[in-house]
Amino acid sequence: MNKKTLYLIYIFSALLSLIIIETIYLSSEKSMSSALVEKKMAFVELVGLPDLAISTEATFVRHRSLSDIFSIYKDDGTLREYFPSTYAISHSHIINPVVIKRDNEK
Amino acid sequence: MKSKINIYLIEYAINAILRQKSKSFFIVFVFTLLIFLLTSVFFITNSIRYELDSTVDTLPQIIVQKIKAGRHYDIDVDAVDNIIEIAGVSDAVARVWGYYYFENAGVNFSVVGIEQYEKQYKNSFEKIADKFDLSDTESNPSMVVGHGVKKTMHQSYYKEYFNFIKPDGTLKKVNIAGVFDADTQLESNDIIVTSKEIAREIFDIDEAKATDIVVKVANPKEIPMIVSKIKSIYPDSRIITSQDLKVSYQNIFDYKSGIFLALFIVSLFTFFIIIYDKSSGLSSEEKREIGILKAIGWRVDDVLKEKFYESFIISFFAYILGVGLSFAYVYIFGAPILQNIFVGYSQLKTSFELPFIFDAQTLFLVFFLSVPIYVAATIIPSWKVATLEADEVIR
Repeated sequence: MNKKTLYLIYIFSALLSLIIIETIYLSSEKSMSSALVEKKMAFVELVGLPDLAISTEATFVRHRSLSDIFSIYKDDGTLREYFPSTYAISHSHIINPVVIKRDNEK
Repeated sequence: MKSKINIYLIEYAINAILRQKSKSFFIVFVFTLLIFLLTSVFFITNSIRYELDSTVDTLPQIIVQKIKAGRHYDIDVDAVDNIIEIAGVSDAVARVWGYYYFENAGVNFSVVGIEQYEKQYKNSFEKIADKFDLSDTESNPSMVVGHGVKKTMHQSYYKEYFNFIKPDGTLKKVNIAGVFDADTQLESNDIIVTSKEIAREIFDIDEAKATDIVVKVANPKEIPMIVSKIKSIYPDSRIITSQDLKVSYQNIFDYKSGIFLALFIVSLFTFFIIIYDKSSGLSSEEKREIGILKAIGWRVDDVLKEKFYESFIISFFAYILGVGLSFAYVYIFGAPILQNIFVGYSQLKTSFELPFIFDAQTLFLVFFLSVPIYVAATIIPSWKVATLEADEVIR
């Protein structure tokens, strides 16, 4: 076995051990403990609203029950999709004139 | 059979990779980037879905709401009495909640009204709020808010209390009694929990009306039957079951990661076509190399083995590197830029701290989408050359 093969083996084992260390670190630090799951469940039970607070701009996203029944994407409780345009097209920047104005002033 | 890993062939493969340094580096770079992007999107999707799935069962089993003129409308509280009489229903509660648009910051808060004196709520508050003081009296109304709400209020100099503007234009001052635990930020960021009376006052909802009614059913198998009974009593109602919510969760993330996967597959196959195209028009030097190898006694399978090692080293290296990078990117750095696909454009942003789950299925999927295809795209053209006569190739 020459030097280069040894180096190759070292590189691969270093990378693999990096992934293993990362996995161990993440599962100990960043995964949900059962206490945290209980906490989240207690919260959701208290509030009773579906979905996460990562999209709050439209009434039918976080609050399924406030949606209307005639729009294509929000016409039922199963909410087929919301904001299909957010992939390619930017949202309207005139939606909130107060904030835009304030941001411009800064 | 004496088929073991031939160490000399591996050495030869390493030398072959190093001989074409810039080409190999470029391939590793593009390959790593592709794998990194794909695994990152899958990791984000899986974590969000895991987060949602872990709490979906605590959501109300049935939500009844009134639809009038194609829109949501306040439901009569009296409907609770009729619904609770349906066999199989164990409890029905009228809820008051809604969006409060805070114009100065341009964000929507979700205001939820609860019966604050019920004992069960007190217990859960102790669990989920950092500090709170629910000494709620008529003269001293209070609320518990999420982190995002608190931050937004702070920016507008509301530190101890907040003035809600009621529909008639008058103000309702409510004290900030506590903040929800930062651990639940993904759920609680935009939430304001207060008493039902205050929520009614903020939204100007009459005592006899409610936003919707949640129904508890003792036996989940009876839900469809109870839904149809409610529907026959109140034909103007729309009923959302927890099953609907589960389906909606699935739909959202299948759609989002599906679109991304479709785009990604196009770029992945473009990459493979380029590789295939480049190798099938093997440069005369590479052809000569294979010819010489054959002339000095290498068999076709030796050449193919060497090509296999060469492509496997490159693709496997890129795969591990890509996966390792995306672990760090998604879970340690919170997926900057890419998270914008998943979060909305609201000003009220949560911290994007996702729960880590080791998803072997995703890792295998990405592995089989990338490594074997790359290996095949390199071996097939070499096999075509290697099967020719040596003198024909060299000449």
